[in-house]
Amino acid sequence: MKYDDETLMAYADGELDPAQRAQIDAAIAKDPALALRVEEHRALRARLAGAFSRVLDQPIPERLESAARAHSSAGTQGRGNVLQFPARSARAPSPPWRAREWIAMAASLLLGVMLSWRFLAPDSRAFEAGKNGLLARGELARALETQLASEQSGEERVQIGLTFKAHDGSYCRSFVLRTARTAGLACRAGSEWQVAATDSSLAPEGEMQQASSALPPSILRIIESRMEGAALDAEGEKSAQQGAWDPGR
Amino acid sequence: MTETSEEIGERIALLLPRLRRLARSLSRDLHDADDLVQTAVERAWRHLDQLRPGASLASWMFGIMKNAWLDNLRARRRRGEVALPEDSGEHPAVSPVDTEAGLWAVSEAMNKLPEDQRLAIALVLVEGMSYKEAAAVLEIPMGTLTSRLARGRTALAAALSDEARGGIA
Repeated sequence: MKYDDETLMAYADGELDPAQRAQIDAAIAKDPALALRVEEHRALRARLAGAFSRVLDQPIPERLESAARAHSSAGTQGRGNVLQFPARSARAPSPPWRAREWIAMAASLLLGVMLSWRFLAPDSRAFEAGKNGLLARGELARALETQLASEQSGEERVQIGLTFKAHDGSYCRSFVLRTARTAGLACRAGSEWQVAATDSSLAPEGEMQQASSALPPSILRIIESRMEGAALDAEGEKSAQQGAWDPGR
Repeated sequence: MTETSEEIGERIALLLPRLRRLARSLSRDLHDADDLVQTAVERAWRHLDQLRPGASLASWMFGIMKNAWLDNLRARRRRGEVALPEDSGEHPAVSPVDTEAGLWAVSEAMNKLPEDQRLAIALVLVEGMSYKEAAAVLEIPMGTLTSRLARGRTALAAALSDEARGGIA
């Protein structure tokens, strides 16, 4: 079965009904080329959303605040002649980000990391094979356990991206091993960090890459499929860390 | 529905970050983008009686912004100020910090799109609206929206991959 580009686009945008969606899910599982086309749609969306989402956090010019609230100057005289400006601190909080925007943001955080890769020393061992797959070790394990993305300077050898709760309630964190040019996702299992996926296809040495291509599609896909709700904000991340990543707390 | 002017003002103020984001995705020029937000907000106050009870204020204001943007482009073209597509702005809508995250490249690529495709991309990919909501804001049928969206995506992907190949050192 062939799928046209508009159908795949609608699938990537979450616009198909459950039946159509299931059909394409099945087709994708069998056809990597199809999966790649969908991934390209998602990556483009994540890149755009991520790039422009920065605007949400920028301060609002005073003239716009005034225009929004200064109704009596805009032809509505008589409706209320009280010209009261609410306190500036009452300014709009940014609307909540969707998973994709969080992913795009995390992707852009990786950019700075890649720029300095070539100047760094090789990594020590970060993984060990366990009974159920790879476990994080050494500095990777330490970073996953203790490091807060909100407090990173950007200089750490392991960069933590986003932290979220998976469908099964466990905490997952994306990471980049700067010196190994490897991105990955690890999820908490018992007292260990189980490495769910890694991808070492990041930025060839010395080549500047766009942020959105920094988190490889394979990792983005896994994050998207596992994330329950939205990624944790700085406060959520901190309290999860303080609770020793115990999902019950 | 008896909402006071103050309450409406507060709701409009709450939308400002999203209005600015939409404006920045339509216009590469920082000052033009904020002018567009201001125009939309002022028009919204003038035509507040046209907002249907229960309708989404955000969708309504996005529609106003769309019209203001198109009016603006037409006026500038009539005056011969602007080539097609939008000429390079005097105040590029990016700072060096933005550049790091690729806003520059994305903004450039958006700027090359025909305006109907840019609007579709801005509402769905940047603002995150559903196809149905975006089609309603743009006052076009769903099929038209999806084809504009598909063409816009193809053009954007091509522009961004050219830019990556050309290097942006």
